[in-house]
Amino acid sequence: MKKLLIPTYLLFAIVLLASCRKELERINKNPNEPTTVQPDYLLSNGIKANVDTYWGPDAAMDGTLLYVQYWSKIQYTDADRYIAGATGTQNVWSNFYAQGIEDFTTLAQLGDSLHNPNYKAVAVIMRSWIFQQLTDLYGDVPYKQAGQISQYLTPVYDSQKDVYTGLLDELKQAAATVTPGSNFIDGDILLGGDVTRWKQFANGLRLRIALRIADREPAIAKTVFDEVTAGGAGALLPKDAVVKLNYLASPNQNPVGRNRETRNDYRISKSVVDKLKALNDPRLSIYATVPKDTNVIIGVTNGLPSDSAARLGFSKTSDAGAVFTATTAPAVLFSYAEQQFILAEAAQRGLLTGDPLTLYNQAIAASFVQYGLSEAAAAAYAVQPGVAYDALNFKKSIGEQKWLALFGQGVEAFTEWRRLDYPQLKAAYAGALGGSMPVRFKYPSSEQALNGSNYKAAVTRQGADLLTTKLWFDKY
Amino acid sequence: MKYVQRLLGLLPALLWLQQSFAQEIRVSGVVTSRNDAQRVPGAVIRVKGTSHGTQADADGKYTINANTTDTLQVSFIGFQTALVAVGNNRVVNIALETTDSKLQEVVVTALGISKEKKSLGYAVQELKSKDIAEARETNLVNALSGKIAGVQVTNSQGSLGSSRIVIRGETSIAGNNQPLFILDGIPVDNSQLGVGTGRDFANAISDVNPDDIASISVLKGPNAAALYGSRASNGVILIKTKTGKDVKGGFGITVNSNATFDKVLILPDFQNVYGQGAGGQFSYKDGKGGGLNDGTDESWGPKMDGRLIPQFFSKGEAVPFVPHPNNVKDFYETGYTLNNGLAVGGSSEKIDYRFSYNNTKQVGILPNTGISRNTFTASNTFRIAPKLTLNTYANYIRSSADNLPGVDGRRGNSVTLQFIWFGRQVDVSRLRDYKNPDGTDYNWNHSYYSNPYWIQNENTVSQLRNRFFGNARLSYEILDWLTANLRIGTDYYQDRRKYKIAYYTNGTPFGSYTEDAYMVNETNGEFTLNAKKQLSYDFNLDVLVGGNIRNNRFEQNYQQAPKLAVKDVYTLNNSRDPLISTSSFSRQRVYSTFGSAQLGFRNYAFLNVTARNDWSSTLPVENNSYFYPSVNGSLVLSDALNIKSKALTLLKIRGGWAQVGKDTDPYQLINTYPFNQPFGQYPLLTVSDKFLARNLKPEITSSTEVGLEAGFIDNRIRLDLTWYQSNSRNQILLADVSPTTGYLKKLMNAGEISNKGVEVMLGVTPVSTRSGFRWDVNVNYARNVSKVVELDKEGFLNNYVLGSSGNMQVLASKGQRYGALYGAAYQRDAQNRIIVNADGTPAIDPNKKILGYYTPKWTGGIYNTFTFKGISLGFLIDTKQGGSIYSGTNYTGNYTGVLATTLPGRDEEHGGLPYYRSGQQNIQLPSHSATAPNGAEVHHDGIIFDGYTADGKKNNVVLGAEDYYKAVYNSSLNESSVYDASFIKLREIKLGYTLPKTLTDRWKLQSVNIALVARNLGYLQKHVPNIDPETAFNTGNGQGLETLQIPTTRSIGINLNVSF
Repeated sequence: MKKLLIPTYLLFAIVLLASCRKELERINKNPNEPTTVQPDYLLSNGIKANVDTYWGPDAAMDGTLLYVQYWSKIQYTDADRYIAGATGTQNVWSNFYAQGIEDFTTLAQLGDSLHNPNYKAVAVIMRSWIFQQLTDLYGDVPYKQAGQISQYLTPVYDSQKDVYTGLLDELKQAAATVTPGSNFIDGDILLGGDVTRWKQFANGLRLRIALRIADREPAIAKTVFDEVTAGGAGALLPKDAVVKLNYLASPNQNPVGRNRETRNDYRISKSVVDKLKALNDPRLSIYATVPKDTNVIIGVTNGLPSDSAARLGFSKTSDAGAVFTATTAPAVLFSYAEQQFILAEAAQRGLLTGDPLTLYNQAIAASFVQYGLSEAAAAAYAVQPGVAYDALNFKKSIGEQKWLALFGQGVEAFTEWRRLDYPQLKAAYAGALGGSMPVRFKYPSSEQALNGSNYKAAVTRQGADLLTTKLWFDKY
Repeated sequence: MKYVQRLLGLLPALLWLQQSFAQEIRVSGVVTSRNDAQRVPGAVIRVKGTSHGTQADADGKYTINANTTDTLQVSFIGFQTALVAVGNNRVVNIALETTDSKLQEVVVTALGISKEKKSLGYAVQELKSKDIAEARETNLVNALSGKIAGVQVTNSQGSLGSSRIVIRGETSIAGNNQPLFILDGIPVDNSQLGVGTGRDFANAISDVNPDDIASISVLKGPNAAALYGSRASNGVILIKTKTGKDVKGGFGITVNSNATFDKVLILPDFQNVYGQGAGGQFSYKDGKGGGLNDGTDESWGPKMDGRLIPQFFSKGEAVPFVPHPNNVKDFYETGYTLNNGLAVGGSSEKIDYRFSYNNTKQVGILPNTGISRNTFTASNTFRIAPKLTLNTYANYIRSSADNLPGVDGRRGNSVTLQFIWFGRQVDVSRLRDYKNPDGTDYNWNHSYYSNPYWIQNENTVSQLRNRFFGNARLSYEILDWLTANLRIGTDYYQDRRKYKIAYYTNGTPFGSYTEDAYMVNETNGEFTLNAKKQLSYDFNLDVLVGGNIRNNRFEQNYQQAPKLAVKDVYTLNNSRDPLISTSSFSRQRVYSTFGSAQLGFRNYAFLNVTARNDWSSTLPVENNSYFYPSVNGSLVLSDALNIKSKALTLLKIRGGWAQVGKDTDPYQLINTYPFNQPFGQYPLLTVSDKFLARNLKPEITSSTEVGLEAGFIDNRIRLDLTWYQSNSRNQILLADVSPTTGYLKKLMNAGEISNKGVEVMLGVTPVSTRSGFRWDVNVNYARNVSKVVELDKEGFLNNYVLGSSGNMQVLASKGQRYGALYGAAYQRDAQNRIIVNADGTPAIDPNKKILGYYTPKWTGGIYNTFTFKGISLGFLIDTKQGGSIYSGTNYTGNYTGVLATTLPGRDEEHGGLPYYRSGQQNIQLPSHSATAPNGAEVHHDGIIFDGYTADGKKNNVVLGAEDYYKAVYNSSLNESSVYDASFIKLREIKLGYTLPKTLTDRWKLQSVNIALVARNLGYLQKHVPNIDPETAFNTGNGQGLETLQIPTTRSIGINLNVSF
């Protein structure tokens, strides 16, 4: 009897233990968050989160919008004096990579596993757009090994050339795989599921990048222009189209609008106000507000010391216009105006056949229309001596007018200003760079600790990790 | 139930079996102490001249079989051995005389088992109820400060916040480093919920009422606590509560009343020469930049010499600009704590009972802050049957606060932030009426702040916690040497907080309202079998085996109305925007089996072994079972070698090795997709920024400890030395990774940290006279050396971030002591001189450096007590030496010019240099009376930074004082604000008087005791100016960052204890 009992007990104990273990596993199932994700939710999040970063306090307001002298500061002027806060450059980097690259990489994989090429194409286009912002700002960045934590815990930095050319390939592929009329996508808060428009956006980005590297790699640029224009008019954004995210009421308000709800730190820069005034530009009253205590638009000089900035008076200086500071103001990613400027310059450079002057005037007109002004007003404006296209000094004409047209789009304007070297801006009044101006963002300091050897390799290749180190595309 | 009956039925048969061997009688009785009539559990009763013996049970009862001619020999540590003839008595009660030795004591060890201290192979230290109840700390953890070697307490800021306790250094790189709290055998929660919400909520153990505590036993690490398993690697604080058995004479009522008053101990030393403004200029118009620097919240303005300037209260009129030196001090009030408790207890043959009620009302030093607490406890012992005992303990606590002080330096709720960014001329008393007729706030500044009284009265955070913890234990004495115990205990609380931000608050024009609710529950069921047997005259054995099931549940519901629709109405319905809501749930279960055995030889050599196996739900199935053993031994040399004498009363050596496994938090294995707030109609899901690990293994801590205990000269000198070493590996770290991986954090399982140290406890009684005067000195000293050995196997991780404040980070840095302060440093040349930029400001090294460590090198305390008849006087001095602190108060106050340390150089009188400005340059003048070329203004506030240019020349560029202080003290240069955190504090003075028995007898009272207690009286040494160097901002690992603390308080109180 006893002999029989012991094994029975043992068996019972083993069964009990096994069931306990199963029970433990069941207890540890996370009840708070799903373990799988649907593509439309991920797409909506990816667009919202990354456009927020692009248009937000770190990449734009305390960075590129000041560097390119669209805005200036009247309080806390450190950022405007090129004393970059440590958190700003970290936030741009972290958000773009950890929210952007990762979300869209996952979405691209979902596109494959769900056999919906449109999700994949949209994911690749958005991811390329993010990588383009990253390399525009920082230069060499992790690209090929980025966003693959299981394989690369310390991703290698790719040269800026490899990033741009890689993006050209990815965008070409994405534009080619879009299937309009089938494989509907949902959650597209940017372009409402219009995959044709996504294709046009992808092509626009290809042109943008091709022109970006034209000083360095004219042959590659030429090929891209050839390929895109071969697609005919339908390959590009139609007249006056704008790729933009329309923000909603709070809590989904425009990042600039959110800032203005509680803060009063920014003003429109004196540089852009002076230029608009000099050119008698009707966009002045749209880009800037009239201050409470005066009836004149007054910009604030960039980079004043805090006390002298504040002394100018909060109610005596102009903020940016409501088109930019309203709660539901849009964030612009790409526009027909920019596209026509790109085409104008490409035509000038012989990268495509076309009349630079016509394209230039179309671009200015598109910018006017984008801000609710008439084409007639644009036509009158464009013949003024300071505006009229000068083929001999196309960088000045295009540089200045593109700068005025891109108002508010800090990252792109900052990048194009570096490439074209127009408009000619004066460094911040009390700038901290010994009279120089920033021509990139510094890498976040966390990279030194977390990806040290690859960081060092990038710095060795690109030059010291300073705001004043010129990037590869910025040849002149 | 049937089984129990059957078992009971069997017992007489078993007993009869024993009896039938000889013509013996069965003798039973109770062993008590003659001194205080307390029962003596564990007393050894032997039949003289034989090896036959037994041990008294937990209630001091024994039963033994003996011949009528036999003599019983009764012995116990701390008592003189008694000899009693059996005769014809069936009941032999024995009263033992105490010996004078203090070292021979019984201490509570793991699982609540009382053991002779001499049998233990590890250090253990106890605090008795008097030490805790009289020097009443509102946060229980503080009561341990300075009294126990190796225990490091970081006190709360203000008097209402959290306190952190760490024993023998940090053993976990990233996880919790605080000990486990066990109350009557059942774990009680000590978490701090809601860190980083702008309030420093007290840690949960502060709920326990000190009046109910009989003793606190500190088990310092795995060697002592291995039996407790997973959570014991940081040590265990064992709390034993009072029971009815402690009441003398069958029935008693005790009333305890305590009143304590708190005053600010230390405030920043402010300057009173210059007022608000910038560049020496100020004029008020609207407080947000409309006037001259009137949006500026700094004190670089005009001299407060009575000159006429429009100010915030003067409606545009120019009025005298004068200092108000006590403007910050006057804002603080005298805080107080009133504490009233009543306990009724008694014991009879069948039942011991104790009921207590306690009410604590605490009012903070900041206006409109405080907390009140009602505690009800019931502790009962039912002796159901001769061998069956039921113990129950229940505690209900209701803790409620209308408003708790704001911390973390946030504009909306921290007044300390506002006072360190301040106009020194501001008369705070003018701000008391904080509201304008239209409901907006009335303040000295409107660009950043709301009125400080507005913050205190309108932007409140309330807390309501309802907590129940308790346990029931059923003990059955199966045989006289075998006991079975079944214990079930639970700790359950609901904690609700309501955050109000009023309409028109600066930066939050629509206000907001948030409700944050938590539910925390832990339930344990435990079964043990305990066998104690005198194997032979030489050997005794004490074996315990058992099992435990632990269940944890946690729930949080958070809802916020981010913008109110209507002012002054605080409900979630009143929202302009969609509510922001989150909820989270978690569960955890751990099954355990464990066992321990103690083998004693002739009462002077002891060997203890323990083993435990846990199965945790938080680990993957293939790794969720983990086993860990411990072994330790002790040898009382003075007994073994028979060298005991008056000169050497005790000599004991001990040593041991232990291992403890540790699991992790729930849901760390499988990646999930968190929700973001929907974008209009579009729900949002994102890829988590944490990459989890499917193959986690348990963390393992191993620890070795050796020690020596000695008593000399009739025990007038008592020494206890300990050396220990611990090593924790496979640490589970949620480590920062490069965001370029697509994630911000990755869960890893590789960290390793080691700690080693020594502890010394020395007790000396220099004076002890026949008349009853006695002077005791107790000294404790502990040194701990930590080292972060490894963070990840691949070796690419060098730093793990524990906490940060701006640029400054607190790191576990590979190869370094734990808790490195890592921040921006001065750039230095080869001779270690500070390099100065061309503009005369100090250059900042592009590479951050380790600027100190928050962990102290050593800690210690000296406790002196003088007793004479009923009077006792005690004072405690304690110290922490060798740590560093990064002070936000200092760096901010030096930047804003409010601190007295910014006076040097500000004018001729304070040693400023004369200079004039030429373009962007300052040109020094030979004297203050010299004139500048072209009639340029001569300034007198020039300072030259003490440094060298990059090419080795002494710096000679003059900076204006404002530029100078802003260049040295700012958020991008941390080194200038890192200070030595060492201090020596007069922690406690206690004067107690127990009324003589003659008097109390006449009044028919049992005892009357009055005590005067003063705490945190002052510093005997301190290096960091303007703040208290030992402040905790939360209970996490990222310490050493002082971010605009609420001042520490000095408290003086009176305690009255009357027993009827």
